[in-house]
Amino acid sequence: MAEGQKGAFAAGFSLLWRRQNVLWWVFVVNFLCGILGILPATVNLSQALHGRLAADRLGSPFDLGMYVELLRLPDVDISRYNVGAFVFAFVFFLFMLFVTGGIIETYREDRRLSTGDFFASSGAFFWRFVRLLLLSIIPFLMVGMVHSGLQKLADHIGDRAIADQVSIFLSLAAFVIFLLLALWVRLWFDIAQVRAVVQNERRMWRNLWRSWRITWHDLGALFWMYFGIALLAWIVTAICLVLWSKTPGTATPLTFLLLELIIFTHLASRLWQLASATTWYQRHAELVPADRVDYVTPHPEEVVEAEPSTPPPPADPGPELPPTDA
Amino acid sequence: MNRLLRPCLPFVVLLWSIGALAQSPFAPKVTGPLSKRVVAYQIDAKYDPPTHTVAASETLTYHNLTGQPLDTFPFHLYLNAFQPKSTWMYEAHRDGSFRTSNFDTWKPEEYGSNEVTSLEVVGMGDLTKQMKFISPDDGNPNDKTVFQVKLPRPVAPGQDVIFKIRFKAKFPEVIARTGYKRTFLLAGQWFPKVGVWWHGQWNCHQFHAMTEFFADFGTYDVKVTLPKEDVIGATGVQVSDQDNGNGTKTVAFHAEDVHDFAWTADPNFKVVEDDFVGSVGKVRIRLLTYDGHKHEWQPYIDCALQSMKAFDDWYGPYPYAQLTVVDPPHGATEAGGMEYPTFITGDSAWFIPKGVHLIDLVTEHEFGHQYWYGMVATNEFENGWLDEGINSYTEVKVLDNMYGENASIINLLGGQLGERNFQRLGYLSSPDMDPLSRISFQDVSAGTYADITYGKTATMLVSLEKVVGEQTLRNALHTYFMRYRFTHPTQEDFMRTVNEVAGQDLSWYWNQAVYGTQVMDYEVKRADSTQVTWYDENLKEKKGETEYETQVILHRKGDFVFPVDAEVKFDNGETLRERWDGKDRWARYVYRKKAQIASVQLDPDYQITMDRDYLNNSKATESNHAAIHKLATYWLFITQFLAQMLSWFA
Repeated sequence: MAEGQKGAFAAGFSLLWRRQNVLWWVFVVNFLCGILGILPATVNLSQALHGRLAADRLGSPFDLGMYVELLRLPDVDISRYNVGAFVFAFVFFLFMLFVTGGIIETYREDRRLSTGDFFASSGAFFWRFVRLLLLSIIPFLMVGMVHSGLQKLADHIGDRAIADQVSIFLSLAAFVIFLLLALWVRLWFDIAQVRAVVQNERRMWRNLWRSWRITWHDLGALFWMYFGIALLAWIVTAICLVLWSKTPGTATPLTFLLLELIIFTHLASRLWQLASATTWYQRHAELVPADRVDYVTPHPEEVVEAEPSTPPPPADPGPELPPTDA
Repeated sequence: MNRLLRPCLPFVVLLWSIGALAQSPFAPKVTGPLSKRVVAYQIDAKYDPPTHTVAASETLTYHNLTGQPLDTFPFHLYLNAFQPKSTWMYEAHRDGSFRTSNFDTWKPEEYGSNEVTSLEVVGMGDLTKQMKFISPDDGNPNDKTVFQVKLPRPVAPGQDVIFKIRFKAKFPEVIARTGYKRTFLLAGQWFPKVGVWWHGQWNCHQFHAMTEFFADFGTYDVKVTLPKEDVIGATGVQVSDQDNGNGTKTVAFHAEDVHDFAWTADPNFKVVEDDFVGSVGKVRIRLLTYDGHKHEWQPYIDCALQSMKAFDDWYGPYPYAQLTVVDPPHGATEAGGMEYPTFITGDSAWFIPKGVHLIDLVTEHEFGHQYWYGMVATNEFENGWLDEGINSYTEVKVLDNMYGENASIINLLGGQLGERNFQRLGYLSSPDMDPLSRISFQDVSAGTYADITYGKTATMLVSLEKVVGEQTLRNALHTYFMRYRFTHPTQEDFMRTVNEVAGQDLSWYWNQAVYGTQVMDYEVKRADSTQVTWYDENLKEKKGETEYETQVILHRKGDFVFPVDAEVKFDNGETLRERWDGKDRWARYVYRKKAQIASVQLDPDYQITMDRDYLNNSKATESNHAAIHKLATYWLFITQFLAQMLSWFA
């Protein structure tokens, strides 16, 4: 990992730590969405188990048969849980789509924005990010198709192999490739989001194209930065799950804390990636012309970006991406 | 004989005797015959792996023990079921799936066939042209799973008739208990098999998607010629292995007092062997498995040993010399979980978490079929519950014995599932669709057949323990096994035996559980306490001094009448047990005590597994919030995780 990326990795974490109020707010909203998502089903469940001794069998150990019977009862409509969970998961998705502009702006400025400024910047970039989201469907679909093809290939080879492991490991490999490709697409679109905020870019096709070139130029280092952060989150998840597996079935508060820690870690890792991407972009891109975005009536501004591999012409105000020391 | 060899004669005889003993199909303390041997099959089969076909000649000697002359003989040709227009395929397609296969579209590799190229009856000539396909169950003219041949003259009672049949079998890619996968072959239902003369007529049903088989006991001498690198296992015991010098070998097997013959071959098989020593001596366990399943070898053997011991102790001896256990390769699940006489197939995988007892579940079940199908050879087409169902019940008992009542299927990460609850969940999926007594292949769907045949039978027998006692029911099954092994009993034989051993007429139970579709559902309708002097406005409640009247009303919501216990607890720690015969729609219990009701629970020991709703079986004054908190914690986590995953795309 190049020095610059090491710096972005650590600086991203430092930025996440300094601006941790953003993370806490995101976590609280996620938690509230979760609570609202399960509320109807939990109320329903409480009524169904009210004064029922069969509930004892759902303690420790947890009787899976009784749980299935509970969900099958006409009074306990599991679809309420499913609908609630999906609706509020989608609400959180919309929330994150909305506030990503504000989050990046907070990281760019590295200061605590007022609530008004935060939501103003969120609103200013919302539609641009919606456009980016729609555009991201194409590469994500392509990644999905690649995975589908790889999975079919794994099945084909695995079906002809004598050892079970061949099929399992090939499927696993296909899945890992899918995850890495998806992470790469995420990285590309994150750089596009950061660039949209920092450069106040309005034209998303152009933004995407330039972000692609930026990402591609420093792909190895950037990718390892993203991958490292994600890997850390999954390591913490694994540790939490191991601890959870050793937790007594009656220790619900401890289980709650461990599971919430997993959620918090994943949200933190996502914001860490955004903070690192913002830091990296700011270090490697020269901003033209202003460091502040006019949220009300932004003027179109010409951004000059040099080809990453082309040395900057002397008369130019300066390329956005000078060759790095990577 | 050469004079020089004469002194060696005793040794030769001894060696021959030892050889003969080693090849005996029975355990050391067993001598045959154990059954009325109606049939004797001699088959010489040549297997061609590249085309997955077998070309064979079969000599069937049929002993006419029916007491009347017979001039018509029906035969099964099961592999013809795997053709688009067969009754089997129609039923499988109608129900959407069969075991792990789905039949939305026709797949050419699922094609299988049995073709009889010639049929001769000794002394009566070539009768190939007399063969006629028949469809006794549904009249499907395109079904070729049963053919009938009419002889020019009848076979007199007590006489034998010898059929000489040449046939070709083409195996499908594994489907419904037979077929190939890569180099693996499970040859089940592969040869023309004569029907059973039963209750004064031929019983030879077409092959149906839901149900299995029915055949007469006899002897089998089968030679299989196959590539010499193949490892082979089969019903019975191996009696010879001859290298043909042309890259093939011929392996001969012998079995007695069995009613079917299956074999398997694969060059990649690994053989693991162990011995079970039971009440009739040593039985060889021969596991055919794969290197990739090394972690599962010992669980297979352990389960077979424990199952054999439980059956030997509880129900009766396993009289054969060998049990062959086949662990199918990956992708061949359709070959797994199947029983043939002295030969079963299990199910495993490269990785099974400790605490998930899949191998035990399947291996025990298939071994149990050696008793309920293999020896007590009921008609699987018509009374599936007598083999699959009783076997599911004994599976509950054996697995409970191995792993405990509530954790015999899954015991992982704090979650548990017991075999009795597993069977109960199956039953609860369709408790009132079909009675057990219905002709099994006429059940409404394959799903219902499974729920009723396996789940309901196991559930209703576990519930019956409440009436007759666990030990009595075990004794009844022992008597039923010993009395009817190597015969074809009916469902009435089973129920009569249980009545007899239990010493009571259980018709009231059988009428509901076997012949009926009644559903059992009891609930605690009311449980509360009020002050006896409720009219006294000045009275202050004082624990231990104030007198209360407690009302408990039990309600029978379902149509199934069954005696039930209720445990009544008061807040002073006093506990009472009431028994209600359940005949009326409701029962009221009134108590006057210086204590208030704490809880009422019907069937507090969870013995009446037929009760469709456990949750309405109790009322308590205090709720257990721990369960709700626990569930809410997990649901919350799943929802939050889903939300953060989705937001990753934002």
